[in-house]
Amino acid sequence: MANVTDFDRRWIFLAMGVLVVGLYTTGAKSPAPQLEYVQAYYDVIEALPDDSIVMLSADFDPASAAELLPMYQATIHHLLRKNIRVVNVATWPAAPPYTRNEFNQITPQYGKLYGTDWVELGFLPGDDVAMAQMGASLHSAFSTDSRENKPLAELPLMGELGDSLQGIDLLITLSAGYPGILEWLAQVGGRYNMTILTGTTAVQTSDLYAFYPSQLAGFIGGATGATRYLELVSEQTEAMVHARDVNQNRIMIQEWAHMLILALIVVGNVLYFAGRGK
Amino acid sequence: MKREIPILLTVLCGLAITWSFFSQSDVSKAVNAELLAWAVVFFSVAFLLGIGNLIRISLKQISSGHRDRPYKIVLLVVLLGYLGIGIAEIHGWLAPLATGTDPTGQVIMSENVRRDWIYYRIFQPLQATMFSLLAFYIASAAFRAFRARSFEAVLLLMAGAIVMLGQVPLGDTLTFDMASRWQDFLMKYINAAGQRAIIMGAAFGTLATGLRIVLGLERSYLSE
Repeated sequence: MANVTDFDRRWIFLAMGVLVVGLYTTGAKSPAPQLEYVQAYYDVIEALPDDSIVMLSADFDPASAAELLPMYQATIHHLLRKNIRVVNVATWPAAPPYTRNEFNQITPQYGKLYGTDWVELGFLPGDDVAMAQMGASLHSAFSTDSRENKPLAELPLMGELGDSLQGIDLLITLSAGYPGILEWLAQVGGRYNMTILTGTTAVQTSDLYAFYPSQLAGFIGGATGATRYLELVSEQTEAMVHARDVNQNRIMIQEWAHMLILALIVVGNVLYFAGRGK
Repeated sequence: MKREIPILLTVLCGLAITWSFFSQSDVSKAVNAELLAWAVVFFSVAFLLGIGNLIRISLKQISSGHRDRPYKIVLLVVLLGYLGIGIAEIHGWLAPLATGTDPTGQVIMSENVRRDWIYYRIFQPLQATMFSLLAFYIASAAFRAFRARSFEAVLLLMAGAIVMLGQVPLGDTLTFDMASRWQDFLMKYINAAGQRAIIMGAAFGTLATGLRIVLGLERSYLSE
């Protein structure tokens, strides 16, 4: 084992597999740390008055659902509990099945009516151009909604909102990459002076610090941020308690996976330098 | 004319979009919205072109006995099958399988609906599995590739270790609450400063490129 390259990496795969499955099976939990940015995300939504209108954009697909779907669910609960109306869009083609399923399950819990309390506009192709088009004219971007195929003017919420994003009080994007938060900031944030929140995968989080708090009012980064947000939302929302517990188990798995990776880096370097000295 | 007309169109579109940023007139807004609507239509047509090209290339490889032939057959079956089921369900050509209605009377798209079933039972687990494999490869790469060979590599390793420790509660416990503070400092100041510098640099570069295109000086999109 003196030569690192000779080491069979399947042992590493096995160690990681045993660690993840073992901790998942035990259900051991670890609470998330206090995070300023997540608290800001939560506080911005809390500060919205009743009947505000929020655009919620699902910019992700199943590959990042482990991190983003809990944020998405908790955000819907948070908004609906606050009696905030939601316009639901997507710039990733694989997102709408998620969004539809989540809204189908969550809106009845709050007695919300389609068309009045929430609207599903669906997927719009075009990446950044689609975002710019939503900013320029919602009715031109979406001739009908994607749930009932009705012209937007026939939906009370869209009738009230009008054609532009000026009536939107807050934009929230759950973003897994391109197109996502960086494009929303560039195409919509500055131009329409819009308050924006985002939840992203952990690998994207480092990109967000440059925009906080001027252009980005708050953000949730990765599973740690998601867990912290679930902890905050579950204080008021019973339906989120189970999801919070599941995520706290993920934090436990993540922290030990991090320790394993750090240990591997140390061992790898020790072996490397020991081998080089001979 | 092959060169002049595309350049003229590009210049006009570029000027119109730029104009809309500085003008509040209804005309500029209408032109901007119209051009963006065209762009979205082009994107949608590009999807169709992509599908057509994929089918053409796959059929060619299947007929020529390419070694990827089995995969290409699977690709075409899944592509056309999912597309066909989706179109048939949207138009109501297949008997509905949905079972419930929500409080508004809207039929709930239960996961019994065929395309949702395919999405949740096949596509979602496959994509999640592919992404999950990263954990194993990162662990292996950590052991084999992250070497403190140079000063820069040491800095990178230290920053990585601090962020990994600061990201989880256990890291704070092990470092007497120092890891999250160091991580915060790294992300808030070092990382944010670097990111802002890169973003500003890229923005000026984009501005310059945009200006060159609008002025007709940049013609690489015409393969020149």
